[in-house]
Amino acid sequence: MIDSPRPGAATRSFPSAVPVAVPISFLGLFFAWPVLTMFVDHLSWSTVADVVRDRSLRGIAWFTFWQAVASTVVTLGVGVPLTWATVRWTFPGVSLLRTISTVPFLMPAVVVAAGVLAIVPERGVGAILWAHLSFNVAVVVRVVGARWALVGATLEEAGASLGASPWRVFRLVTWPLLRDAVRNAASLVFVFCFSSFAVIAVLGGVTRRTLETEVFTQAVRLGDIPTATALALVQTAVVVAALWLGRQRREPVEIGAATETPRERHTRDRISAQWLPPVVAAACAAITVAPLVVVAVRSVRYAGNWTLVGWRALFDGTLARVGVDVLEVLAHSLVFAAVAVVIAVPLAMLTVRRESTSLVERLSLAPLLVSSVTLGLGLIVTFDSSPYDWRGATWLVPVVHAVVALPLAIYVLGPAVRAVGNDVLDAAADLGAGALRRWWSIQLPLVRPAVLRAAGISVAVSIGEFGATSFLARSGSMTIPIAIGQLLGRPGPLLQQAGFALVTLTALAIVVTTRSL
Amino acid sequence: MKKTLALLGAILVVTSCTGATESPGDSAQSGDVTLLAYDSFTPPEGIFSAFEDETGLRVNVVTGGDSGSVISKAILTAGNPEGDVLWGVDNTTFSRAEDAELFTDVAPVDEGDVCINYDKEWYASRTLEPPTSLDALITPTYKGQLVVQDPVNSSPGLAFLMATIAKYGDGWQNWWKALRANDVLVVSDWTSAYTVEFSGSSGKGRYPLVVSYGSSPPAEVLYAATPIDEPPTGVIESTCFRQTEYVGTLRGADNPDGAKKLMEFLLGRQFQESLPLSMFVFPVNPDAELPQLFQKFAVRVTDPLQIPADEIADKRDRWIDEWRAIVL
Repeated sequence: MIDSPRPGAATRSFPSAVPVAVPISFLGLFFAWPVLTMFVDHLSWSTVADVVRDRSLRGIAWFTFWQAVASTVVTLGVGVPLTWATVRWTFPGVSLLRTISTVPFLMPAVVVAAGVLAIVPERGVGAILWAHLSFNVAVVVRVVGARWALVGATLEEAGASLGASPWRVFRLVTWPLLRDAVRNAASLVFVFCFSSFAVIAVLGGVTRRTLETEVFTQAVRLGDIPTATALALVQTAVVVAALWLGRQRREPVEIGAATETPRERHTRDRISAQWLPPVVAAACAAITVAPLVVVAVRSVRYAGNWTLVGWRALFDGTLARVGVDVLEVLAHSLVFAAVAVVIAVPLAMLTVRRESTSLVERLSLAPLLVSSVTLGLGLIVTFDSSPYDWRGATWLVPVVHAVVALPLAIYVLGPAVRAVGNDVLDAAADLGAGALRRWWSIQLPLVRPAVLRAAGISVAVSIGEFGATSFLARSGSMTIPIAIGQLLGRPGPLLQQAGFALVTLTALAIVVTTRSL
Repeated sequence: MKKTLALLGAILVVTSCTGATESPGDSAQSGDVTLLAYDSFTPPEGIFSAFEDETGLRVNVVTGGDSGSVISKAILTAGNPEGDVLWGVDNTTFSRAEDAELFTDVAPVDEGDVCINYDKEWYASRTLEPPTSLDALITPTYKGQLVVQDPVNSSPGLAFLMATIAKYGDGWQNWWKALRANDVLVVSDWTSAYTVEFSGSSGKGRYPLVVSYGSSPPAEVLYAATPIDEPPTGVIESTCFRQTEYVGTLRGADNPDGAKKLMEFLLGRQFQESLPLSMFVFPVNPDAELPQLFQKFAVRVTDPLQIPADEIADKRDRWIDEWRAIVL
């Protein structure tokens, strides 16, 4: 009787022998410890009280909040239709459109901001919203797409064949299944916009400040670490409160038809207006990538003429004089991204539970809620003495990338894992399949698209991460965002052209590599 | 799936190989000396090989963030530093280093001027003379032409605020009020100001006057998109504020002897002569010769605006607060 499964044993997502202790220890060591060290060493309640009482800081907190809400709304407004058009339908170029609209997320935010500034000459809220939209549409596509790909077409077709209008089918059949994922995506985008740094710094001018920019200002520019940690604490409290208020009671949703393979569902003959998906996809993608396109055009255009000097400079050795070796930089970034994926994706799989969002899963989202300045500085003061003297270790860079990527990987995997029907797994258990077998033969194939998306988003985070990484000591391991910052941050048109060329090259490389995933 | 597995396999191979070769953090042997610097510390390749051959030390250059980040990190880790020698403190931030007793030994290593640059073509095409003084900037002739950086966020921005305080003393606040009324554009950082808003460089922006460096014109020639003989920009010499950068041995350094030797090398003629074309600053070693390009186009004024470091230390934060209240 030992092999006979207990009732409900199949509801675990992965073999119970695999402990959740692994992700917990990972986050404990590389996230909680450094951040707590900062808070314990530098936080005083009187400073927190000063910060809370400060009128101008209250104004900053309010602006931070409402721009994040507005940014989330516009991002969903473009991201959800785009996901619908590119995940539900198939037409020539669909995967290209889906891929290119996720590219801005991979770019350093500075670059997206520079692109927006080239289109909208005025700094301000409009420019900030566009940059946030461009940057975050990828989140919606990845998170909602992972779920939408699992919504069985047979359900929708059943609805339609019973005479329901497309809108009614969407409202009564599709939306209840998607709601979780949309809410997840919205919370993520909100958190990103709430803690956005580079976009605000470039596009906000000097009057639009957010809590994150103010933490950086206090810690790095003014050297006031106590005020900075107090602000970071307030920032975390506000974002946690906002997420808590925005949460809704979760209703368990099961998708019986989730066993279909994605290909079978991507048909276009169920819609009368066949032109609609391509047009929606193209329009949304255009809004999203326009800032990057502008940068790409800049890379081959200078002072009204077409020119390739920037591209030539990337490879003819000119940039060695400013310490940038493009091939080496690209290689470093790819290796870091690979390591981050190898860490983050398995950890996410260990964390996600089938029955509901577990406490562990919720706790593991914490890296999104704490300012990256605090994490970056915390790493340096924590891992500073033997046997933890890891401050200058190159491997720390992709490890930090994995810390930041893990919550996103979990966001992508969670809804997909929970969408797999219990009946399938229970049936397998009844037939005597062990936990490992059930996981390998049934669970994994079903959530594979989501696993790949989780890997993609981890690559994205790794390549674009600038906040915490920028504080880590690096010896000859420049990443792409830092190289771009170096090129754009010096006088000389040639270096600017080379910087824009590097952005374009990176974007192209990303399109090619993530399409193969 | 096969493709994915193959890719994953390749990734693992790559990472395990590179993992073996790159671990600067582990290599703190007595034969190493670690130089901490900001990201834009870019000496010519191979510059340290003569030093390494002569002393048997290996120089490990470690960068991490911009100047402000590097200083903040050094202060947080004072006494147990990430390296032996720190490059990146200047006269406007020197007080922060002093307060934290960062250094056991410190010396000026290079200098340069922060000055307003102008777009020659913009003024020539309007048959207008570029301004020649800070006074002129608040007159209607030059309304809406200047872009400056936020002194909180930007080191040239802070230097320019110092320039106006050095020039006007207690009257500096009135000058800034007038400048604000004259439609000055304030942006957060040098990159936005010089490469986006300024009309005389790559961004072809709308503002013909920008706060930058006395050494920006030769950079425009060296890194021109198409070869040019003359820089398209000029420097308004009466607006120049002197920035001096320091290099120091960090308190608690693992290798203080190596640090001492490295400091000597950084102040020596060979390294000092490499500074202008690699980092666009002037050497402090009087024996160092300037390259042609610098002799011709770079500006180092003889009588720059200056404020003593201890006065900056006392009043820097207050000045910044007052500036914010006036301009933002």
